[in-house]
Order: sequence, then C-alpha cells, then structure tokens
Amino acid sequence: MKQFNLPSGAVIKKPFNKIWIVLGTLLVLVLFFSLFIFSRRPFFNLSVLGEILVKMFTPRQYQNWGDYFGYMLTLRGPLVETLSMAFGGTIIGSIIAIPVAVLSAKNITKIKWIRIPVRTFLNLYRTIPVMLLAILAVYLVGIGVLPGLMAITGFSFGIMAKMLFEIIETVDMSPYEALESTGATKTQAFVRAILPQVFPVYISYLIYIFEINVRASAIFGYFGAGGLGTVIVESAGQYYERVGATVILMLGVVLIIQFISNYARGKLQ
Amino acid sequence: MTLLEKKLKQKPKIWILNLIIFVAVIVLVGISFNGAQINWTRLEMAGYTLREMARQMTDINWEFLIGFGSYRFTEGISFLAIETLAIGFLGTLIGAILALPFGFLASKNISGKIGSRIGETLLVIIRVFPEIILGLILIKGFGMNAFTGVLVIGLHSIGMIGKLFAEMIDNMDRSPIEALDAVGASLLQKIRFAVLPQVAADFSSVALYRLDINVRSATILGVVGAGGLGTLITLAGQNANWNVLGMIMITIVITVILVDIVSAKLREKLL
Repeated sequence: MKQFNLPSGAVIKKPFNKIWIVLGTLLVLVLFFSLFIFSRRPFFNLSVLGEILVKMFTPRQYQNWGDYFGYMLTLRGPLVETLSMAFGGTIIGSIIAIPVAVLSAKNITKIKWIRIPVRTFLNLYRTIPVMLLAILAVYLVGIGVLPGLMAITGFSFGIMAKMLFEIIETVDMSPYEALESTGATKTQAFVRAILPQVFPVYISYLIYIFEINVRASAIFGYFGAGGLGTVIVESAGQYYERVGATVILMLGVVLIIQFISNYARGKLQ
Repeated sequence: MTLLEKKLKQKPKIWILNLIIFVAVIVLVGISFNGAQINWTRLEMAGYTLREMARQMTDINWEFLIGFGSYRFTEGISFLAIETLAIGFLGTLIGAILALPFGFLASKNISGKIGSRIGETLLVIIRVFPEIILGLILIKGFGMNAFTGVLVIGLHSIGMIGKLFAEMIDNMDRSPIEALDAVGASLLQKIRFAVLPQVAADFSSVALYRLDINVRSATILGVVGAGGLGTLITLAGQNANWNVLGMIMITIVITVILVDIVSAKLREKLL
C-alpha cells in the first residue's frame, strides 16, 4: 500500500481499491463454475467446424448456387407458418396482458392484496422457459402450428404484462386526476388520460416482441411445433446446405422486420 | 354551428386509418389460425391430460431432485441446475470481455463513422443469429457438453452487450478524452483513464442484466445437447415424463428467481 508523507507531517494512505474484492470474487466464481463445466471433457475439432460452416453456406456437391437459392423458395410454407405463429401469438398474448398489467400497476390498482399476488404470479410465470410451454402445448393439442401459436401466446403474455405495467407506472397521472375531478368515471379517465400516453409505447413493444418471437420459433421445431425450426431440425446432420439456406432466410426476414420496426418506432415516438 | 363544433369537424380523420389497421390485424390473426390444423381428439382429451400432468408434476422425487440416496449427485437435477448457472455465468463473462472490442469498434466516438457502421452491422448479425442454431453448429466442433453451451452463450451475448456498450461510449462525457489528447496520451491510456472510469458501472449493470437472460437461455441450450437442464427437459418431454418435468420446472423457477434477486441487488448498488 502506497504512503505519502506530507511536509506537514500528515501521512496519507492510498485508499484500498474495492476493484480487487470484485475481481477476487469473480475469480473464485469462475474457478468454481469451471469445475462443473469441465466435469465432462470437451474436445476440440475445429476442422470439422470449418467444414460444416463451408457446407452450410455453399451449394452441395453436383449442385450450383441456383439450387441453393432455389431451395429457399420452397420454404414459403414453413416461413408463412413461422410468421403467422409469431404474429398471432404476439397479438393475442399482448391483448391478454393488458388487464393483468392494469391489475399490477401501482398507480391504478390501489388495493395491495390484488396487486401483489398478480405480480408474484407474473414473476413466477416468466421464469418458465418457452420450451416447456411448447412441450406442454404439443401434448395438449397435438403436433402442428397450434401448439407453437399457444407457446408464443404464453411467452408474449408474460413479457408484455411486465413491460406494460412498468410503462403504466411511469405515466403522468395529472390528466387522470384532472378528468376524475371533472366527474369522469375511472374507466373514462383511464381511456382518455392513460391510454394515449401508453399506446405508442405499447405498439413499439409489440413490434419488438414480434421480432423476438420470429427468432424464438426456430427452437419450436424440436418439439413438433411447426415453422422454419422443423426444417432446420429435419435437415441438420445430413443437409447442411439446407440448414444454411434456412438460416439465411430467417436472418433476412428478421432483419427486414427490424428495419420496419425501427422505422415504425421512429414514427411513433 | 359554433366555432368549437367547426374545429372539431376539422380534426384529421385518423380514426378511419385506425379502423383499417384494426381490421387488418384481426384478419391476419384469423389467417394465422387458418394454417393450424386442429386435432379435435387431442383437444377433447385436453382436460384429462391436464389433470394427469398436474397429478404427476406434484409428485416430487426428492432423491432425484437433490441427487442423494439411489442417485449420485452428478445425476441429480440440482447438479444440472448448477451446470446451467455455470453456463450462464461463464458465458456472460466471455461475452462481456469479447463485447469490449466490438463495442469500441461500433462507437462513433472512437472509431469514426465508417468503423462504427461496420461494427454495428457485425453486432446486428450476431444478435439476430438464433442461439439454438449456433449451438447446433458448435456442437460438431466441441462436442456435446457444457463447454459448448458456454461458447454459444458467450458468442450470442456479444450482440447485446456490445451494442449497449457502444451506446454508453457515444453518450459519455468527451472532455476527459480531449484533456488526455492534449497531454499526448496514447489510445490505450485514453481508454484506461477516460473511458473505463465513466462506463464501468453501466457496463457491469448491463452484464448483470444479460446474466439474467443468459441463465434463462442456458436452460434451453441442452435441447441440442449443449449441457444444462435442457437435455433432461427434451428427454422427459419426449417420454411425457411429467414427474421429471415438474421437478425441473420447480428447479428453474428457484434458480432464475435467485439470479434475478442477486443481480437486481448488485445493480442497485452500482447505480
């Protein structure tokens, strides 16, 4: 530890830097967790990795780029499935989320023993991975697009309810109080004072969740819930170029959605 | 007609547009159900299936949950839960470290207009590449184990952490950099003494937030065999083993909530 002796006789010590505590804790955690990670030994086969990447993004032997991109055109069906699952699920989930969000917002629902159970339920509910919802849905209604739609609805509901109640809580309450003082009912005041403030943000979150859902639907293929994910799962292992083409198509669609959503959000705010 | 009524009439007729959008959305939602062939026999059984699920899920096998008695600790669910945590934690750490160069590249302040465009594009591509497909690819190179999971999470996290990091750098106070410029500091010195002290707290808070997300997504990586709880979820799902799925669900809820609480507390301290 550094010390400075000033001419006046005072001794100044350099204060202990807390960064070392943080770094030490991090190191201990890294070592502890590494034990678990390396309990099964990994292997390193980078040449195979390179080969697969090449296989994914170039045409198969005896085929040309026309075949590669031609394959994408045959994916219209699964693409429409993915998009409709994501769209329907996002809209339905976000609509169901509205009453729940209103019930858990501090400034609207003044009664504590309604608000807190609803919020606890939301927090617990959101920890369940989408994948589990998908498995449950496939068992309930059978293989197809419907379980995917249900799982996405469930996921969108959880995330939207949380985001929405947070927006509602940050809303400016003075117009609401002003309307109430003029004799408007609570519902009227809510529709005229809170909704206009919340709506643009709600729509921009809706687009954001739609974007997440298009990507997340890739995993539903594993459980027979339809869409582009099914194509990827069926081709993985043999037809790497099909996986690659599907991935490119998916990335293209997501980028287009992102572009549109950025534009729309710019307009809304 | 009073002036007020006239003004009211002059209001732009935005409700027509709204109505059109509303109807279009309803129609599209309808169409999205159109592709869904509904399996009515399954639906009729749904009530029974639900009751059966609930009955089996609430039947907890403690030995398997914690990993003692007739099971070894490494076979139990709690071992897999810790493995999931480990994947999330180490993945976030690797992602945060790798995100630094990407963030610097994508920030207008440090790498100029063209450099930031390149960096931003790279980050977008990383961000939109689905984790599960990244896992599918990396599995071939690193085998079916938790290490692959760490790599997947690490690479995927670069996208978000890097983007937010670049935004932090762009929004920070430029005067310390100029001051260091004036005394002739090198790029590394500028980063160490002008950039890091300003962004350290925000950066850690973003990394902690990402840890939240990553522990959640580490639970699904096992679907492709990249370690954690996911492998067991897939197996149990394929065999309709609701008993195991129920225990896994409880474990995930506890793990995620613990991480949530810890990261929220730490973030509060930082800000």
